[in-house]
Amino acid sequence: MAPFELAEPHTLSEAIALLNAGDVPVRAIAGGTALMLMMKAGVFQPARLVSLRRVEACHAEITVMPDGGLSIGAMATLSSLARSAAVKQAAPVITQTLKTLSNVRVRNVATIGGHLAHGDPHMDLPPVLTALGAQVRTLSPVGERTRAVADLYTGYYETVLADNELISEVIVPPQSGSLAAYLKITTRAADDWPTLGIAVSLQMEADIVKAARIVVSAATNTPLRLEVAEQTLLGTTLDAVTLLRCGDAAVSSVELAADAHGSAAYKRELLRVYTQRALRQALAVQL
Amino acid sequence: MSATRTIHFTLNGDPVTAQIGTHQHLVEVLQAQGLTGARESCAQGLCGCCTVLVNDVAVSGCLYLAAFADGADVRTIEYAPAGKLDVVQEAFIECGAFQCGYCTPGFILMTRQLLDAHPDPSEDDIRHYLSGNLCRCAAYPEIIKAVKLAAVKRRG
Ligand SMILES: Cc1cc2nc3c(=O)[nH]c(=O)nc-3n(C[C@H](O)[C@H](O)[C@H](O)COP(=O)(O)OP(=O)(O)OC[C@H]3O[C@@H](n4cnc5c(N)ncnc54)[C@H](O)[C@@H]3O)c2cc1C
Ligand code: FES
Ligand code: FES
Repeated sequence: MAPFELAEPHTLSEAIALLNAGDVPVRAIAGGTALMLMMKAGVFQPARLVSLRRVEACHAEITVMPDGGLSIGAMATLSSLARSAAVKQAAPVITQTLKTLSNVRVRNVATIGGHLAHGDPHMDLPPVLTALGAQVRTLSPVGERTRAVADLYTGYYETVLADNELISEVIVPPQSGSLAAYLKITTRAADDWPTLGIAVSLQMEADIVKAARIVVSAATNTPLRLEVAEQTLLGTTLDAVTLLRCGDAAVSSVELAADAHGSAAYKRELLRVYTQRALRQALAVQL
Repeated sequence: MSATRTIHFTLNGDPVTAQIGTHQHLVEVLQAQGLTGARESCAQGLCGCCTVLVNDVAVSGCLYLAAFADGADVRTIEYAPAGKLDVVQEAFIECGAFQCGYCTPGFILMTRQLLDAHPDPSEDDIRHYLSGNLCRCAAYPEIIKAVKLAAVKRRG
């Protein structure tokens, strides 16, 4: 890696001020697991990195809010989320997803803020948090903003975040009465990068689907909600015919792209089958 | 601000001061200290050959900025406070859980972490926890035996 200047401010606002550097490449570094790979590969050569590891400790806290939702500080590590009783209670699908999200050492260091800001469409939590209707709070010289995780991504490794805008917090709204599941399909080890990710969340009322979110990842430029497929579920009891129809609607409503983990044709068949399996799994959680 | 700095940390129990480049990762700096137990292999967080404990938390040294170790308690496979092998190391030897030994320091350190968290791991727990450690000699069956034996010895 090439040399760079490393700043280690003690507050998030100082960090934001240090991200303003005119034309030279400056970036925040949290755990560094994603950034180190890019720097080692020579894809990214910063003039300055602004480390977030010394910012106020409150930015790593995980708390249950009065309404039952979750507040997760951007600097919380993925391991701390995996171990958190509050997360397991409020949104067990997150706990489940973390089990096969990379390996122990990466989870020990990687942060939720870095995870959401990186923008690799293969990542596991963006589709899950999109299905849960989660939001991020961000801070920049312009002030504080709240953005839906669903609106963060604009393209392959591209986000709406400004160069001097940092995620401070992730908010997961209360999930009472909703059922969720995430299936990660890998072709080698279970914790490998997915060939396809599919996250679903259902609001049920007496066995009838009132609202649904279906989000596909790892086969499109950004995690993507499949609204046409969602529509097929509304007002149904998720009977076998509905599930089949939903799988078909998912496939015909989206253009999937091939990558090192599988061809587009393969991913289409995975999407057809795993949309149904994810919905079944969400329902099974209820039992 | 410059691209080099002086960091202070505890290395296997002893205080160390090191002059580092801010872009250097932890394995590079440990090797400059004469420690070769943590070694870079895949260089991308996948194989665990570079495992180091920072404040008792296992990290991939190849992806960890050395500057982040400033003020930390750093331990490597060379750490042996009792001056002898521990039960995990004994179990690996008794089970012949290696051929070339390149991956072994990482497997030993991760096995200790695993047993701290799960004193009586199932085979599934073992496979899952160690999925981020690769043995290119494929000594996996013996490694799993060694972890089970180490668990028994520890509970001893
Ligand atoms: C071996 C390996 C395997 C992996 N496998 C998986 C996997 O199976 N599934 C998966 O989902 N992911 C996987 N990952 C990716 C991993 O989840 C990310 O590397 C990690 O979450 C990034 O977090 P970080 O804190 O290390 O980010 P960093 O590397 O520090 O930062 C990443 C990006 O986010 C920016 N950033 C950091 N913090 C903030 C913030 N608070 N606000 C705004 N921008 C910020 C940085 O500027 C940078 O652009 C894997 C990574 C490795 C190394
Ligand atoms: S060399 Fe660091 S994980 Fe392989
Ligand atoms: S013993 Fe050779 S790599 Fe594991």
